[in-house]
Amino acid sequence: MNWPAFVLTARLASLASVILLLVGVPIALWIAFSPRRWKFLAEAVVALPIVLPPTVLGFYLLVAFGRGTFLGRWYERFTGSTLAFSFSGLVVASVLYSLPFAVNPMVAGFRAVDQKLIAAARTLGAGRGKIYRRIVLPLAWPSLVAAMVLSFAHTVGEFGVVLMVGGNIPGATRTLSIDIFDQVQDLNYASANQTALALLVFSFLLLCVVYGLNLRAPFWGSK
Amino acid sequence: MNAAPINTTQPNATKPSATKPNGLQVNLRRTIAAKRRRPFTLDVEFSVACGVTVVFGPSGSGKTTILQCLAGLLRPDQGNISISGELLFDSARKINVPAQQRRAGYLFQELALFPHIAAAENVGFGIRVNGTEKKRIVHDILERFRIAHVAGHRPDELSGGERQRVALARALVIQPRFLLLDEPFSALDDALKQEIIADLKRWLEQARIPVLLVTHDRDEAVALGDRMLLLREGRIVDEQDLAKNSYH
Repeated sequence: MNWPAFVLTARLASLASVILLLVGVPIALWIAFSPRRWKFLAEAVVALPIVLPPTVLGFYLLVAFGRGTFLGRWYERFTGSTLAFSFSGLVVASVLYSLPFAVNPMVAGFRAVDQKLIAAARTLGAGRGKIYRRIVLPLAWPSLVAAMVLSFAHTVGEFGVVLMVGGNIPGATRTLSIDIFDQVQDLNYASANQTALALLVFSFLLLCVVYGLNLRAPFWGSK
Repeated sequence: MNAAPINTTQPNATKPSATKPNGLQVNLRRTIAAKRRRPFTLDVEFSVACGVTVVFGPSGSGKTTILQCLAGLLRPDQGNISISGELLFDSARKINVPAQQRRAGYLFQELALFPHIAAAENVGFGIRVNGTEKKRIVHDILERFRIAHVAGHRPDELSGGERQRVALARALVIQPRFLLLDEPFSALDDALKQEIIADLKRWLEQARIPVLLVTHDRDEAVALGDRMLLLREGRIVDEQDLAKNSYH
């Protein structure tokens, strides 16, 4: 096992998951409850990374992070380094790439909250903030956990985007999935197998958490 | 038991008044797209004085839609709604007071208790004061509706009657300006229904607010109502005086 790659992957996935929770909740609430007809456009944009080849997303991010764009110049002026081929660049890319894996379960969870409960809260004087805080989020907590777990797992497993945006710099941007690729290139199958098996078991356990939570969800059924 | 209104010290609360009538004026139209039948237009005009007005009619005649329009949960296509002269909705003047500002007590047919919080928190949800004052208000009303012993229990741990009382206490504790009851007793057996109706009547004796009760149970209508509007296909086709109740 390449431990520096392991630590870097864990850091990347943890950070991306926390950012996705903070960014994903307001986006998911808006998608779930906004009456706007054109919100399907926002849903399509959020879901793009599911169908887009990772190299396409990686390519555009690489271009966006470069010195030729406002974002690239702005970041370099404030930090003195470029977003491309850096850990920060990997975090931004991971957040964008895993966005649908965070937002979609949240939207499903929020939409599953009984509309009668929201109506009751409104008649009791609750505004949008109080309804989200006291009713929707507590009732949809399994979907929030599922979103976090899926975001984490998806970030751990990403390859194409990471390779495009981060390159393959040991200790800076080399993640476990790239490490497996390197080991296979070097015909070091035993080591590749060790890392791959660890990721397999890890992914299985995370999915067990997600499906276990789904079993628990009916507990909150409205009476 | 004495289910009389308590002082919930709600900001902007309109205290029940013995002299000023709190009439509800309703004039609304809304197209209803019902399942497996042709759409029809709900077109009603009526007033509700203090006391209980029953909206009686078959399923799908638009009874619940009326309540939802009054509560602000649905927007009528046209018309106006006012309480004690204050406009809640007026299509011509583009006035539509949001549901959270109408202070309508609404008892849903399915009760709509928040399943993840205890009975006391359900009842206290709409109270705008905090701390010990809120606790006192919640405790008072739970006592009055004989459910103080289940204050810490979640709705799924309560009996049908207890859930009904919690929902009723939650709707009344906000000192509503009018009360909307959507077939609230349909799931209860007769004995329990009579008990809860008696509790509600005692409350209304002092609250003196307009109450609109939707039901298709004639016994329930007669037990609680003063006046009955007969609704068919979105129109009021008849109006009847019921045997007078003593609380108004």
